[in-house]
Amino acid sequence: MKDSMIAPVFALGVLGALALAGGSASAQQFSADFVATAAGAKGRLYVANGKVRIETPDFPDGFFLVDGDAGSAWFVRPARRVFMEARQSTRLTRLLVPLDPDDPCGQWQAMAERAGATAPGERWRCDRLGGESVDGRETVKYRALSPRRRLHEAWIAPTLRFAVRLETEDGAVVALENIEEGPQPPDLFAIPAGYRKFDPQALIDRIKQSDVWVEP
Amino acid sequence: MRPNLLNRRRRRLKAAICASVTALSALGYVAAGHGAGGDNSAVTETPIKHVIILIGENRGLDHTFGVYKPKGGGQTISNILSKGIVNEDGTPGPNFALAQQYAVTPQGLYYIGAPGGAKTPYNTTTNLMPQPNTNGAPEFQSTGTPPFPTIAEAALEPDIEPAEDVLLTTGATGLPTGVLDTRVPGAGTLPAGPFMLLGPKITDDDYTGDMTHRFYQAWQQSDCSLANATRANPTGCLNDLFPFVMATYSATNKSEGNEMGFYNAEEEEASLLKTLADRFTLSDNFHQSFQGGTGANHFMFGTGDAGFWSDGNGNPATPPSNIANPNPKGGTINQYIADNNFSNCSDVTQPGVLPIVSYIESLPYGAEPNCAEDHYYMLDNTNPGFLPNGTVVPAVQGALPPSPVKTIGDALLAKNISWAYFGGSFNDAVILSNEAVAANPANPNLAAAALADPAHALGTAYCQICNPFQYATSIMSNAAIRTAHLKDTTDLIADIKNDTLPAVSVGKPDGLLDGHPQSSKIDLFEGYVQNILDALEANPRLKAQTAVFITWDEAGGYWDSGFIQPFDFFGDGPRIPLLILSPYTTGGKVHHSYGDHVSLLKFIERNWHLSPLTDRSRDNLPNPKPRPGDPYVPANMPALSDLFDAFDFASFNNQPYLE
Repeated sequence: MKDSMIAPVFALGVLGALALAGGSASAQQFSADFVATAAGAKGRLYVANGKVRIETPDFPDGFFLVDGDAGSAWFVRPARRVFMEARQSTRLTRLLVPLDPDDPCGQWQAMAERAGATAPGERWRCDRLGGESVDGRETVKYRALSPRRRLHEAWIAPTLRFAVRLETEDGAVVALENIEEGPQPPDLFAIPAGYRKFDPQALIDRIKQSDVWVEP
Repeated sequence: MRPNLLNRRRRRLKAAICASVTALSALGYVAAGHGAGGDNSAVTETPIKHVIILIGENRGLDHTFGVYKPKGGGQTISNILSKGIVNEDGTPGPNFALAQQYAVTPQGLYYIGAPGGAKTPYNTTTNLMPQPNTNGAPEFQSTGTPPFPTIAEAALEPDIEPAEDVLLTTGATGLPTGVLDTRVPGAGTLPAGPFMLLGPKITDDDYTGDMTHRFYQAWQQSDCSLANATRANPTGCLNDLFPFVMATYSATNKSEGNEMGFYNAEEEEASLLKTLADRFTLSDNFHQSFQGGTGANHFMFGTGDAGFWSDGNGNPATPPSNIANPNPKGGTINQYIADNNFSNCSDVTQPGVLPIVSYIESLPYGAEPNCAEDHYYMLDNTNPGFLPNGTVVPAVQGALPPSPVKTIGDALLAKNISWAYFGGSFNDAVILSNEAVAANPANPNLAAAALADPAHALGTAYCQICNPFQYATSIMSNAAIRTAHLKDTTDLIADIKNDTLPAVSVGKPDGLLDGHPQSSKIDLFEGYVQNILDALEANPRLKAQTAVFITWDEAGGYWDSGFIQPFDFFGDGPRIPLLILSPYTTGGKVHHSYGDHVSLLKFIERNWHLSPLTDRSRDNLPNPKPRPGDPYVPANMPALSDLFDAFDFASFNNQPYLE
């Protein structure tokens, strides 16, 4: 269990590092469970230095790596030793990203653009609704509207610089639980050496040569 | 280096499960389980309580079993070896001329049954037969698509066992696409007949070039005319224009001579299929039910009929485009004016219709075109009017509007008999459909959805046109029915393991495993089959009640030497293999009674006491009566076997599928 790696001494160290960094979005480190109503089971989340690792029961054969600073998101399948762009495979990679508590829409917009879910330059709109406590943790509640008129609400913990609860307009809820602040092993956030990048375009091109595909 | 597939399979096969040779009571046995929204305890005509129909892609009988010697004592087979067309080593045999292929001089209009004086035999000098080429087969390994560079990457595909993943890494041609396939021994100077796909550089583990297999082309290749009729071949189909039509119907087609390629089962090609034939029953008179390709053949399998363009409410209508005109362009040998998908065959003035209708009506038995007035029939691949998630496809995409044609699924539903269609990568296809519709409801694009969602990109390999039920309004417009009866291959394996197998199951692999030339390999289809058989082997009680039919949608353009019995405007076409696995079909027998895809409907209907689907569906045809001295040509044409005579219900042997 990776929680066992977390020790108070490291957490203190991280807090110190955060202070030195002036509270940049990339300085938070913690792990948590998360419950997504669509998945129906708990997932696991790790955050460190602007990077996020998402293990969701919707994708039991892999995990997602998000780099908020680079604006990248990958899906890694260890058994196949491959990785691929996450793009729109799950919206978790666009929502569970390090955020600026004063302007979260910048990160959401950047990740949506990267995933191809939003055209470049299309603006998101965030309305600050005020402070609320979620499971005893102080948060700032926002309502966000994407350029495609999709709405979600987020409760962002300033100390984590991360949303601890999200509700989307279709009724889905993503909630973080058992949050444990502290440093995370760097290798959790790296694509292992030797993995190849999977290109879905090549697969589609091959399929289009078979009888299973009829061009609309 | 080619893996020795059969030996490898033998090594890894689980220990055979001993089967008691215990006769089952036909009437006293009630199957357990309750799968796919229906009842599994229905009274059946035979001890068979479950059928599983597995359908591969694009392999003919002579192509697969042309060089095969039956294992059962006293059994005979009609193939290119038994006819002396080739020798057992695949070289031309004493009767090689029986497979002679021809070219035809230009004719003014589309024809089937080329005038004898217009035909010129291909040779190896002045009139070389079109030669095989690589036509689209993969040149290299690729991280994105088979053949993958590593076995780990091949694990993308969930529907074969991990030990078989290696098959998804092998078989690249090493040659550019669309060039002479120099892996074929003798390529470049092959004589005008069948040639073997076996040599130092090519086996059944290699990708090979594809060829066109469409409706008007297939009729023309079959070269049917009563002027050619004989006692052994009373319908006069000569099957002697295969490479010619491929080389001439289009200015851009590169299929060329691939039609004449065949595997050598006696040299361990298609070794798993051969083992099944050795141990169970193989038909050598089973046919694709529709001339041409995938969609129409699967539709005929599911309905006993052809699909037609409608207004979406069941009323026939004229398609806004895509109407065929196979008449030759001026100044060409045989280049079709419009190689399109629909014809109104009730109107003989429509291009291409008259030659086929005239031929059908001239047959010396009661064949009818069976073309309803003002119906434009789907002759070639056209997407269903529903996406896998049940969304009606917008008209702009040209899909066949929601179909009113009754399916075997409807008949089973009416009797509360459980059934399901298990499509490879279906679950991913549903996810892609949801995403595509969300992204662009007016014009959903599954390929774009796959690029946006690489984790589910395999959903593009699900075959929409292979699922006859995906065309049907009665099934697709009802979410409860759709979700209960349309499933994924992984669900088939689970149902076998969990004893929830429906009474009637149809299994279709995805595009990587379906065995289709160019995009798949025959040994990958074998891997798909083995995955299912191994699951059944682990459930011997279920296996004892189950008949597994393994067949193909069509011959895929591959030439075949067998007799063809045309029933109507739509078919039949060339022979395809049918393997019948059950405790009552053991012994390496060869079944000769005339059948096609609709025979599988007839088997289901007789076993579960159903009526023919409609008054025009082919399942109304009687069983064949044998003609003295000739088991292949029914004495009572038109006639179609229900396959019951392939079973010996007095003899029960629940032997392992493989050894």
